[in-house]
Amino acid sequence: MRFFGRDDEPAALQPLRQIKLFSSLSARELKVVHGLRHERQYLAGEIVFDQGDEGQAIYAIVEGEVEILRADGGSPHRLALLAPGEVFGELALLDQAPRAAQARAHSDCRLVVFFRADFMSLLETHPKIASKIALSLARHLGGRLRQANAGARQEGHL
Amino acid sequence: MRRLQPSGAGPLAWCGILLATTLALFLFQHLLWLVLPFLFGLIAYYFLYPPVQRLVFAGFSQEAAANITVGAFAVLLIACFALMLPWFAAHAVSVQDTGQRYLQGGLALLDETLRALETQSRFMRDAHVADAVSSHIAAAGEGFAQERLPGLMMGVAAWLPSFLLAPFLAYFFLRDGRRFQRFLARAMPNAYFERTLHLLYEVDRTARAYFQGLIKLTVLDALCLAFGLWLIGLSSPLMLGLITAVLAWVPYVGSILGCAVVVMVAATDFPGSPGVAYAAVGLFVFVRLLDDFVFMPLTIGRSLKMHPLVTVLMIFVGGAVAGVAGLLLVLPVLGVVMVIGETASIVAADPRLRARHAHARQLRLQSVTRDLG
Repeated sequence: MRFFGRDDEPAALQPLRQIKLFSSLSARELKVVHGLRHERQYLAGEIVFDQGDEGQAIYAIVEGEVEILRADGGSPHRLALLAPGEVFGELALLDQAPRAAQARAHSDCRLVVFFRADFMSLLETHPKIASKIALSLARHLGGRLRQANAGARQEGHL
Repeated sequence: MRRLQPSGAGPLAWCGILLATTLALFLFQHLLWLVLPFLFGLIAYYFLYPPVQRLVFAGFSQEAAANITVGAFAVLLIACFALMLPWFAAHAVSVQDTGQRYLQGGLALLDETLRALETQSRFMRDAHVADAVSSHIAAAGEGFAQERLPGLMMGVAAWLPSFLLAPFLAYFFLRDGRRFQRFLARAMPNAYFERTLHLLYEVDRTARAYFQGLIKLTVLDALCLAFGLWLIGLSSPLMLGLITAVLAWVPYVGSILGCAVVVMVAATDFPGSPGVAYAAVGLFVFVRLLDDFVFMPLTIGRSLKMHPLVTVLMIFVGGAVAGVAGLLLVLPVLGVVMVIGETASIVAADPRLRARHAHARQLRLQSVTRDLG
Protein backbone atom coordinates (compact mmCIF):
# COMPACT_ATOMS: atom_id res chain seq x y z
CA MET A 1 0.00 0.00 0.00
CA ARG A 2 1.39 3.41 -0.93
CA PHE A 3 0.59 6.34 1.33
CA PHE A 4 1.36 9.22 -1.01
CA GLY A 5 1.01 7.68 -4.43
CA ARG A 6 -1.68 8.02 -7.06
CA ASP A 7 -3.18 4.71 -5.87
CA ASP A 8 -4.75 6.71 -3.04
CA GLU A 9 -6.77 8.83 -5.44
CA PRO A 10 -10.52 8.56 -4.85
CA ALA A 11 -12.47 6.79 -7.60
CA ALA A 12 -14.32 10.08 -8.34
CA LEU A 13 -11.03 11.59 -9.58
CA GLN A 14 -10.25 8.76 -12.02
CA PRO A 15 -12.28 10.20 -14.94
CA LEU A 16 -10.36 13.47 -14.63
CA ARG A 17 -6.99 11.68 -14.39
CA GLN A 18 -7.42 10.25 -17.90
CA ILE A 19 -7.90 13.75 -19.40
CA LYS A 20 -4.63 14.85 -20.99
CA LEU A 21 -5.02 18.45 -19.87
CA PHE A 22 -4.82 17.38 -16.21
CA SER A 23 -2.22 14.63 -16.52
CA SER A 24 0.47 16.72 -14.79
CA LEU A 25 -1.64 17.56 -11.73
CA SER A 26 -1.08 15.91 -8.35
CA ALA A 27 -3.99 14.17 -6.57
CA ARG A 28 -4.52 17.19 -4.33
CA GLU A 29 -4.51 19.58 -7.30
CA LEU A 30 -6.88 17.32 -9.20
CA LYS A 31 -9.27 17.49 -6.25
CA VAL A 32 -9.41 21.27 -6.59
CA VAL A 33 -10.16 20.95 -10.32
CA HIS A 34 -12.76 18.28 -9.53
CA GLY A 35 -14.65 20.86 -7.45
CA LEU A 36 -15.02 23.10 -10.50
CA ARG A 37 -16.27 20.58 -13.02
CA HIS A 38 -19.78 20.09 -14.41
CA GLU A 39 -20.83 16.73 -15.86
CA ARG A 40 -23.08 16.41 -18.91
CA GLN A 41 -24.38 13.45 -20.90
CA TYR A 42 -25.11 13.65 -24.62
CA LEU A 43 -26.79 11.19 -26.97
CA ALA A 44 -25.28 10.29 -30.35
CA GLY A 45 -26.13 13.08 -32.81
CA GLU A 46 -26.77 15.71 -30.12
CA ILE A 47 -25.04 19.05 -30.63
CA VAL A 48 -22.67 20.11 -27.86
CA PHE A 49 -22.12 23.59 -29.28
CA ASP A 50 -22.58 25.33 -32.60
CA GLN A 51 -20.15 27.09 -34.88
CA GLY A 52 -20.57 30.81 -34.10
CA ASP A 53 -21.72 30.30 -30.47
CA GLU A 54 -20.13 32.48 -27.84
CA GLY A 55 -17.61 30.19 -26.13
CA GLN A 56 -17.98 30.08 -22.35
CA ALA A 57 -16.63 26.64 -21.47
CA ILE A 58 -14.05 23.97 -22.29
CA TYR A 59 -15.14 20.31 -22.68
CA ALA A 60 -13.29 17.07 -22.00
CA ILE A 61 -14.44 13.60 -23.04
CA VAL A 62 -14.79 10.98 -20.29
CA GLU A 63 -16.74 8.41 -22.33
CA GLY A 64 -17.77 8.21 -26.00
CA GLU A 65 -16.65 10.15 -29.04
CA VAL A 66 -17.25 13.68 -30.28
CA GLU A 67 -16.85 14.89 -33.84
CA ILE A 68 -15.80 18.41 -34.76
CA LEU A 69 -17.55 19.72 -37.87
CA ARG A 70 -17.08 22.87 -39.82
CA ALA A 71 -19.30 24.43 -42.46
CA ASP A 72 -17.44 26.83 -44.73
CA GLY A 73 -20.38 28.02 -46.79
CA GLY A 74 -21.53 24.53 -47.89
CA SER A 75 -22.36 21.37 -46.01
CA PRO A 76 -20.39 20.65 -42.82
CA HIS A 77 -17.25 18.50 -43.11
CA ARG A 78 -15.52 16.64 -40.33
CA LEU A 79 -12.31 18.15 -38.94
CA ALA A 80 -11.66 15.61 -36.22
CA LEU A 81 -13.09 12.70 -34.27
CA LEU A 82 -12.13 12.96 -30.62
CA ALA A 83 -11.79 10.05 -28.18
CA PRO A 84 -11.94 9.83 -24.37
CA GLY A 85 -9.28 11.93 -22.63
CA GLU A 86 -9.28 14.62 -25.32
CA VAL A 87 -10.48 18.18 -24.90
CA PHE A 88 -12.28 20.57 -27.25
CA GLY A 89 -13.62 24.12 -27.18
CA GLU A 90 -10.35 25.08 -25.53
CA LEU A 91 -10.10 28.47 -27.27
CA ALA A 92 -12.99 29.62 -25.03
CA LEU A 93 -10.50 29.65 -22.14
CA LEU A 94 -8.29 32.12 -23.96
CA ASP A 95 -10.87 34.51 -25.36
CA GLN A 96 -14.62 34.86 -25.85
CA ALA A 97 -14.42 34.62 -29.63
CA PRO A 98 -17.23 32.72 -31.41
CA ARG A 99 -16.76 28.94 -31.68
CA ALA A 100 -14.80 28.12 -34.85
CA ALA A 101 -16.58 24.79 -35.42
CA GLN A 102 -19.53 22.69 -34.33
CA ALA A 103 -19.11 19.87 -31.80
CA ARG A 104 -21.54 16.95 -32.06
CA ALA A 105 -21.70 13.71 -30.07
CA HIS A 106 -20.65 10.85 -32.41
CA SER A 107 -21.78 8.26 -29.89
CA ASP A 108 -23.51 8.48 -26.53
CA CYS A 109 -20.98 10.29 -24.40
CA ARG A 110 -20.18 11.71 -21.00
CA LEU A 111 -18.34 15.01 -20.87
CA VAL A 112 -16.86 17.14 -18.12
CA VAL A 113 -17.18 20.87 -18.59
CA PHE A 114 -15.18 23.72 -17.10
CA PHE A 115 -16.64 27.18 -17.17
CA ARG A 116 -14.36 29.98 -18.34
CA ALA A 117 -15.01 32.18 -15.27
CA ASP A 118 -14.12 29.28 -12.94
CA PHE A 119 -10.83 28.79 -14.77
CA MET A 120 -10.13 32.54 -14.52
CA SER A 121 -10.75 32.44 -10.75
CA LEU A 122 -8.42 29.43 -10.59
CA LEU A 123 -5.69 31.68 -11.99
CA GLU A 124 -6.10 33.90 -8.93
CA THR A 125 -6.74 31.31 -6.22
CA HIS A 126 -4.48 28.47 -7.42
CA PRO A 127 -1.94 29.94 -9.85
CA LYS A 128 0.24 26.79 -9.73
CA ILE A 129 -2.61 24.56 -10.89
CA ALA A 130 -3.71 27.12 -13.48
CA SER A 131 -0.16 27.41 -14.86
CA LYS A 132 0.15 23.61 -15.16
CA ILE A 133 -3.17 23.48 -17.05
CA ALA A 134 -2.14 26.46 -19.20
CA LEU A 135 1.14 24.70 -20.09
CA SER A 136 -0.72 21.52 -21.06
CA LEU A 137 -3.13 23.65 -23.07
CA ALA A 138 -0.27 25.40 -24.86
CA ARG A 139 1.27 21.99 -25.72
CA HIS A 140 -2.12 20.77 -26.93
CA LEU A 141 -2.60 23.86 -29.14
CA GLY A 142 0.98 23.51 -30.42
CA GLY A 143 0.22 19.92 -31.43
CA ARG A 144 -2.94 21.06 -33.23
CA LEU A 145 -0.97 23.75 -35.05
CA ARG A 146 1.69 21.24 -36.13
CA GLN A 147 -1.05 18.89 -37.37
CA ALA A 148 -2.68 21.72 -39.32
CA ASN A 149 0.68 22.73 -40.86
CA ALA A 150 1.44 19.14 -41.81
CA GLY A 151 -2.02 18.83 -43.39
CA ALA A 152 -1.57 22.06 -45.35
CA ARG A 153 1.88 20.88 -46.58
CA GLN A 154 0.44 17.53 -47.74
CA GLU A 155 -2.40 19.29 -49.57
CA GLY A 156 0.19 21.55 -51.23
CA HIS A 157 2.14 18.49 -52.48
CA LEU A 158 -1.03 16.86 -53.76
CA MET B 1 -26.53 25.37 -40.34
CA ARG B 2 -27.82 28.92 -40.30
CA ARG B 3 -26.91 30.87 -37.19
CA LEU B 4 -28.94 33.94 -36.25
CA GLN B 5 -27.14 36.29 -33.88
CA PRO B 6 -29.33 37.08 -30.87
CA SER B 7 -30.03 40.76 -30.25
CA GLY B 8 -30.25 42.34 -26.77
CA ALA B 9 -33.34 42.47 -24.57
CA GLY B 10 -36.15 44.43 -26.25
CA PRO B 11 -38.75 46.81 -24.76
CA LEU B 12 -41.11 43.90 -24.03
CA ALA B 13 -38.39 42.12 -22.07
CA TRP B 14 -37.67 45.33 -20.15
CA CYS B 15 -41.37 45.73 -19.29
CA GLY B 16 -41.25 42.14 -18.02
CA ILE B 17 -38.14 42.90 -15.93
CA LEU B 18 -39.76 45.95 -14.28
CA LEU B 19 -43.01 44.05 -13.72
CA ALA B 20 -41.19 41.03 -12.26
CA THR B 21 -39.21 43.33 -9.92
CA THR B 22 -42.43 45.01 -8.73
CA LEU B 23 -44.13 41.64 -8.24
CA ALA B 24 -41.11 40.28 -6.37
CA LEU B 25 -41.12 43.30 -4.04
CA PHE B 26 -44.85 42.84 -3.44
CA LEU B 27 -44.31 39.18 -2.54
CA PHE B 28 -41.23 39.91 -0.44
CA GLN B 29 -43.26 42.37 1.61
CA HIS B 30 -45.30 39.40 2.87
CA LEU B 31 -42.20 37.27 3.46
CA LEU B 32 -40.06 39.85 5.24
CA TRP B 33 -39.33 37.42 8.11
CA LEU B 34 -37.37 35.39 5.53
CA VAL B 35 -36.29 38.03 3.02
CA LEU B 36 -34.55 40.36 5.48
CA PRO B 37 -32.45 37.62 7.17
CA PHE B 38 -31.64 36.42 3.64
CA LEU B 39 -30.54 39.95 2.68
CA PHE B 40 -28.39 40.32 5.81
CA GLY B 41 -27.02 36.83 5.17
CA LEU B 42 -26.03 37.92 1.67
CA ILE B 43 -24.36 41.08 3.01
CA ALA B 44 -22.42 38.94 5.53
CA TYR B 45 -21.55 36.47 2.73
CA TYR B 46 -20.12 39.14 0.46
CA PHE B 47 -18.37 40.78 3.43
CA LEU B 48 -16.67 37.49 4.35
CA TYR B 49 -16.09 36.33 0.77
CA PRO B 50 -12.67 38.09 0.29
CA PRO B 51 -11.05 36.53 3.43
CA VAL B 52 -12.40 33.11 2.39
CA GLN B 53 -10.87 33.57 -1.06
CA ARG B 54 -7.55 34.57 0.55
CA LEU B 55 -7.55 31.37 2.58
CA VAL B 56 -8.40 29.33 -0.53
CA PHE B 57 -5.51 31.13 -2.24
CA ALA B 58 -3.26 30.10 0.66
CA GLY B 59 -4.11 26.45 0.00
CA PHE B 60 -7.15 25.71 2.20
CA SER B 61 -10.18 23.93 0.78
CA GLN B 62 -13.37 25.93 0.30
CA GLU B 63 -14.99 24.17 3.25
CA ALA B 64 -12.03 24.71 5.60
CA ALA B 65 -11.73 28.37 4.52
CA ALA B 66 -15.45 28.94 5.20
CA ASN B 67 -15.20 27.22 8.60
CA ILE B 68 -12.15 29.24 9.67
CA THR B 69 -13.52 32.60 8.45
CA VAL B 70 -17.03 32.21 9.90
CA GLY B 71 -15.58 30.76 13.12
CA ALA B 72 -13.18 33.70 13.55
CA PHE B 73 -15.95 36.18 12.77
CA ALA B 74 -18.30 34.51 15.28
CA VAL B 75 -15.59 34.54 17.98
CA LEU B 76 -14.99 38.25 17.28
CA LEU B 77 -18.71 39.04 17.53
CA ILE B 78 -19.12 37.04 20.73
CA ALA B 79 -16.06 38.77 22.24
CA CYS B 80 -17.47 42.20 21.30
CA PHE B 81 -20.86 41.24 22.73
CA ALA B 82 -19.28 39.92 25.94
CA LEU B 83 -17.30 43.14 26.36
CA MET B 84 -20.32 45.35 25.62
CA LEU B 85 -22.80 43.45 27.79
CA PRO B 86 -21.60 44.68 31.23
CA TRP B 87 -21.37 48.24 29.91
CA PHE B 88 -24.84 48.03 28.38
CA ALA B 89 -26.33 46.51 31.57
CA ALA B 90 -24.83 49.31 33.64
CA HIS B 91 -25.96 52.05 31.26
CA ALA B 92 -29.32 50.65 30.09
CA VAL B 93 -31.29 53.27 32.01
CA SER B 94 -28.98 56.13 31.07
CA VAL B 95 -29.08 55.06 27.38
CA GLN B 96 -32.85 55.45 27.47
CA ASP B 97 -32.49 58.84 29.21
CA THR B 98 -29.87 59.93 26.64
CA GLY B 99 -32.26 59.00 23.81
CA GLN B 100 -35.01 61.08 25.36
CA ARG B 101 -32.60 63.96 26.01
CA TYR B 102 -31.51 63.97 22.34
CA LEU B 103 -35.15 63.83 21.21
CA GLN B 104 -36.00 66.81 23.46
CA GLY B 105 -32.93 68.66 22.14
CA GLY B 106 -34.04 68.12 18.54
CA LEU B 107 -37.59 69.25 19.30
CA ALA B 108 -36.28 72.33 21.10
CA LEU B 109 -34.18 73.21 18.03
CA LEU B 110 -37.22 72.79 15.76
CA ASP B 111 -39.29 74.98 18.07
CA GLU B 112 -36.56 77.65 18.21
CA THR B 113 -36.18 77.62 14.41
CA LEU B 114 -39.93 77.96 13.82
CA ARG B 115 -40.23 80.79 16.34
CA ALA B 116 -37.27 82.55 14.69
CA LEU B 117 -39.05 82.18 11.34
CA GLU B 118 -42.26 83.54 12.87
CA THR B 119 -40.45 86.74 13.81
CA GLN B 120 -39.45 87.11 10.13
CA SER B 121 -42.74 86.11 8.51
CA ARG B 122 -46.11 87.65 9.38
CA PHE B 123 -47.95 84.81 7.64
CA MET B 124 -46.28 82.19 9.86
CA ARG B 125 -46.86 84.31 12.94
CA ASP B 126 -50.59 84.65 12.15
CA ALA B 127 -50.85 80.92 11.54
CA HIS B 128 -49.09 80.13 14.90
CA VAL B 129 -46.98 77.56 13.09
CA ALA B 130 -44.61 76.89 16.03
CA ASP B 131 -47.47 76.19 18.47
CA ALA B 132 -49.34 74.05 15.95
CA VAL B 133 -46.27 71.93 15.13
CA SER B 134 -45.39 71.54 18.86
CA SER B 135 -48.89 70.37 19.76
CA HIS B 136 -48.98 67.97 16.77
CA ILE B 137 -45.62 66.45 17.78
CA ALA B 138 -46.71 66.12 21.42
CA ALA B 139 -49.96 64.41 20.39
CA ALA B 140 -48.14 62.13 17.95
CA GLY B 141 -45.58 61.25 20.65
CA GLU B 142 -48.30 60.34 23.17
CA GLY B 143 -50.24 58.35 20.57
CA PHE B 144 -47.05 56.57 19.49
CA ALA B 145 -46.12 55.63 23.06
CA GLN B 146 -49.60 54.39 23.88
CA GLU B 147 -50.75 52.76 20.64
CA ARG B 148 -47.80 51.88 18.44
CA LEU B 149 -44.81 51.30 20.77
CA PRO B 150 -46.03 48.07 22.43
CA GLY B 151 -46.87 46.57 19.01
CA LEU B 152 -43.52 47.67 17.61
CA MET B 153 -41.61 46.17 20.54
CA MET B 154 -43.55 42.90 20.21
CA GLY B 155 -42.81 42.87 16.47
CA VAL B 156 -39.08 43.36 17.08
CA ALA B 157 -39.10 40.57 19.70
CA ALA B 158 -40.90 38.22 17.27
CA TRP B 159 -38.45 39.05 14.47
CA LEU B 160 -35.26 38.54 16.46
CA PRO B 161 -35.14 34.72 16.11
CA SER B 162 -35.51 34.93 12.33
CA PHE B 163 -32.48 37.26 12.21
CA LEU B 164 -30.43 34.44 13.72
CA LEU B 165 -30.89 32.78 10.32
CA ALA B 166 -28.58 35.36 8.71
CA PRO B 167 -25.23 33.97 9.99
CA PHE B 168 -26.31 30.40 9.15
CA LEU B 169 -27.26 31.45 5.63
CA ALA B 170 -23.96 33.31 5.19
CA TYR B 171 -22.00 30.23 6.33
CA PHE B 172 -23.77 27.87 3.94
CA PHE B 173 -23.49 30.36 1.05
CA LEU B 174 -19.74 30.48 1.68
CA ARG B 175 -19.34 26.72 2.06
CA ASP B 176 -21.75 25.35 -0.54
CA GLY B 177 -22.37 28.26 -2.93
CA ARG B 178 -20.44 26.64 -5.78
CA ARG B 179 -22.11 23.27 -5.18
CA PHE B 180 -25.52 24.95 -5.33
CA GLN B 181 -24.54 26.66 -8.59
CA ARG B 182 -23.59 23.26 -10.06
CA PHE B 183 -26.87 21.79 -8.81
CA LEU B 184 -28.84 24.52 -10.61
CA ALA B 185 -26.80 24.13 -13.81
CA ARG B 186 -27.41 20.35 -13.76
CA ALA B 187 -31.15 20.95 -14.02
CA MET B 188 -30.76 22.77 -17.34
CA PRO B 189 -31.10 21.00 -20.71
CA ASN B 190 -27.86 20.59 -22.69
CA ALA B 191 -28.88 23.19 -25.30
CA TYR B 192 -29.17 25.96 -22.68
CA PHE B 193 -26.39 24.76 -20.42
CA GLU B 194 -23.57 27.16 -21.39
CA ARG B 195 -25.90 30.17 -21.42
CA THR B 196 -27.24 29.18 -17.98
CA LEU B 197 -23.74 28.92 -16.58
CA HIS B 198 -23.04 32.37 -17.92
CA LEU B 199 -26.31 33.64 -16.41
CA LEU B 200 -25.49 32.21 -12.96
CA TYR B 201 -22.05 33.77 -13.15
CA GLU B 202 -23.55 37.15 -14.10
CA VAL B 203 -26.14 37.01 -11.27
CA ASP B 204 -23.36 36.23 -8.80
CA ARG B 205 -21.15 38.98 -10.24
CA THR B 206 -23.97 41.56 -10.08
CA ALA B 207 -24.99 40.68 -6.54
CA ARG B 208 -21.35 40.58 -5.37
CA ALA B 209 -20.60 43.95 -7.00
CA TYR B 210 -23.72 45.46 -5.41
CA PHE B 211 -23.16 44.21 -1.87
CA GLN B 212 -19.40 44.72 -1.81
CA GLY B 213 -20.03 48.21 -3.26
CA LEU B 214 -22.57 48.82 -0.49
CA ILE B 215 -20.05 47.80 2.18
CA LYS B 216 -17.35 50.08 0.68
CA LEU B 217 -19.87 52.92 0.40
CA THR B 218 -20.86 52.50 4.06
CA VAL B 219 -17.21 52.64 5.18
CA LEU B 220 -16.50 55.75 3.04
CA ASP B 221 -19.69 57.50 4.23
CA ALA B 222 -19.03 56.63 7.87
CA LEU B 223 -15.44 57.93 7.72
CA CYS B 224 -16.37 61.18 5.93
CA LEU B 225 -19.26 61.90 8.30
CA ALA B 226 -17.18 60.97 11.36
CA PHE B 227 -14.38 63.31 10.25
CA GLY B 228 -16.83 66.17 9.61
CA LEU B 229 -18.68 65.66 12.90
CA TRP B 230 -15.35 65.51 14.75
CA LEU B 231 -14.38 68.84 13.14
CA ILE B 232 -17.70 70.37 14.24
CA GLY B 233 -17.07 69.06 17.75
CA LEU B 234 -19.94 66.60 18.22
CA SER B 235 -19.66 63.73 20.71
CA SER B 236 -19.12 60.11 19.47
CA PRO B 237 -18.49 61.13 15.82
CA LEU B 238 -17.48 57.62 14.67
CA MET B 239 -20.58 55.98 16.17
CA LEU B 240 -22.84 58.68 14.66
CA GLY B 241 -21.11 58.37 11.28
CA LEU B 242 -21.57 54.59 11.28
CA ILE B 243 -25.26 54.77 12.33
CA THR B 244 -26.09 57.35 9.64
CA ALA B 245 -24.12 55.43 6.97
CA VAL B 246 -26.02 52.21 7.78
CA LEU B 247 -29.35 54.09 7.80
CA ALA B 248 -28.48 55.34 4.29
CA TRP B 249 -28.93 51.75 3.03
CA VAL B 250 -32.61 52.67 2.80
CA PRO B 251 -32.82 55.24 -0.02
CA TYR B 252 -34.31 58.67 0.91
CA VAL B 253 -36.00 57.68 4.19
CA GLY B 254 -32.73 56.41 5.68
CA SER B 255 -30.87 59.59 4.73
CA ILE B 256 -33.55 61.82 6.26
CA LEU B 257 -33.58 59.73 9.44
CA GLY B 258 -29.76 59.85 9.61
CA CYS B 259 -29.79 63.63 9.21
CA ALA B 260 -32.44 63.92 11.94
CA VAL B 261 -30.28 61.84 14.33
CA VAL B 262 -27.22 64.05 13.68
CA VAL B 263 -29.25 67.26 14.12
CA MET B 264 -30.76 65.99 17.39
CA VAL B 265 -27.31 65.21 18.77
CA ALA B 266 -25.95 68.59 17.63
CA ALA B 267 -28.92 70.49 19.13
CA THR B 268 -28.56 68.65 22.46
CA ASP B 269 -24.76 68.91 22.73
CA PHE B 270 -24.85 72.63 21.88
CA PRO B 271 -28.27 73.85 23.08
CA GLY B 272 -27.48 77.57 22.89
CA SER B 273 -25.91 77.59 19.44
CA PRO B 274 -28.18 76.44 16.60
CA GLY B 275 -25.30 77.20 14.19
CA VAL B 276 -23.72 73.83 15.11
CA ALA B 277 -26.92 72.00 14.15
CA TYR B 278 -27.07 73.91 10.85
CA ALA B 279 -23.39 73.07 10.25
CA ALA B 280 -24.26 69.39 10.85
CA VAL B 281 -27.08 69.64 8.30
CA GLY B 282 -24.65 71.31 5.85
CA LEU B 283 -22.12 68.53 6.43
CA PHE B 284 -24.80 65.91 5.89
CA VAL B 285 -25.93 67.48 2.61
CA PHE B 286 -22.27 67.76 1.49
CA VAL B 287 -21.59 64.07 2.25
CA ARG B 288 -24.82 63.03 0.48
CA LEU B 289 -23.74 64.99 -2.62
CA LEU B 290 -20.26 63.44 -2.40
CA ASP B 291 -21.96 60.08 -2.03
CA ASP B 292 -24.30 60.53 -5.02
CA PHE B 293 -21.76 62.01 -7.43
CA VAL B 294 -18.43 60.45 -6.41
CA PHE B 295 -18.68 57.43 -4.11
CA MET B 296 -21.85 55.84 -5.53
CA PRO B 297 -20.66 55.84 -9.19
CA LEU B 298 -17.30 54.46 -8.01
CA THR B 299 -18.80 51.62 -5.97
CA ILE B 300 -22.42 50.52 -6.60
CA GLY B 301 -23.30 52.47 -9.78
CA ARG B 302 -20.41 51.11 -11.77
CA SER B 303 -21.29 47.56 -10.86
CA LEU B 304 -25.00 47.53 -11.68
CA LYS B 305 -24.76 49.37 -15.02
CA MET B 306 -28.31 50.66 -14.69
CA HIS B 307 -29.76 53.73 -16.31
CA PRO B 308 -30.25 56.45 -13.62
CA LEU B 309 -33.85 57.07 -14.76
CA VAL B 310 -34.74 53.39 -14.28
CA THR B 311 -33.03 53.39 -10.86
CA VAL B 312 -34.91 56.46 -9.58
CA LEU B 313 -38.22 55.28 -11.04
CA MET B 314 -37.87 51.84 -9.45
CA ILE B 315 -36.93 53.34 -6.06
CA PHE B 316 -40.27 55.20 -6.09
CA VAL B 317 -42.11 52.07 -7.23
CA GLY B 318 -40.37 50.00 -4.51
CA GLY B 319 -41.40 52.52 -1.84
CA ALA B 320 -45.00 52.59 -3.10
CA VAL B 321 -45.33 48.79 -3.34
CA ALA B 322 -43.48 47.61 -0.22
CA GLY B 323 -42.71 50.69 1.92
CA VAL B 324 -39.35 50.95 3.67
CA ALA B 325 -38.55 47.30 2.92
CA GLY B 326 -39.21 48.01 -0.77
CA LEU B 327 -36.81 50.95 -0.70
CA LEU B 328 -34.15 48.73 0.87
CA LEU B 329 -34.65 45.80 -1.49
CA VAL B 330 -35.47 47.46 -4.80
CA LEU B 331 -31.92 47.94 -6.17
CA PRO B 332 -30.50 44.46 -5.46
CA VAL B 333 -33.73 42.80 -6.64
CA LEU B 334 -33.79 44.91 -9.80
CA GLY B 335 -30.11 44.11 -10.47
CA VAL B 336 -30.66 40.35 -10.23
CA VAL B 337 -33.99 40.36 -12.14
CA MET B 338 -32.38 42.52 -14.83
CA VAL B 339 -29.59 40.00 -15.45
CA ILE B 340 -31.99 37.02 -15.40
CA GLY B 341 -34.55 38.80 -17.61
CA GLU B 342 -32.02 39.99 -20.19
CA THR B 343 -30.37 36.58 -20.53
CA ALA B 344 -33.65 34.63 -20.45
CA SER B 345 -35.15 36.85 -23.17
CA ILE B 346 -32.06 36.37 -25.35
CA VAL B 347 -32.06 32.59 -24.80
CA ALA B 348 -35.83 32.24 -25.32
CA ALA B 349 -35.68 34.33 -28.49
CA ASP B 350 -32.84 32.23 -30.01
CA PRO B 351 -34.49 29.85 -32.55
CA ARG B 352 -31.32 27.79 -32.93
CA LEU B 353 -31.16 26.96 -29.21
CA ARG B 354 -34.85 26.02 -29.24
CA ALA B 355 -34.30 23.83 -32.29
CA ARG B 356 -31.30 22.13 -30.64
CA HIS B 357 -33.33 21.46 -27.51
CA ALA B 358 -36.20 20.00 -29.57
CA HIS B 359 -33.69 17.81 -31.45
CA ALA B 360 -32.17 16.57 -28.19
CA ARG B 361 -35.63 15.71 -26.83
CA GLN B 362 -36.41 13.80 -30.02
CA LEU B 363 -33.15 11.84 -29.67
CA ARG B 364 -33.99 10.99 -26.06
CA LEU B 365 -37.46 9.83 -27.04
CA GLN B 366 -36.00 7.63 -29.79
CA SER B 367 -33.45 6.25 -27.36
CA VAL B 368 -36.05 5.18 -24.77
CA THR B 369 -38.62 3.86 -27.30
CA ARG B 370 -36.20 1.97 -29.56
CA ASP B 371 -37.28 -1.49 -28.36
CA LEU B 372 -41.01 -0.75 -28.14
CA GLY B 373 -41.69 -1.57 -31.75
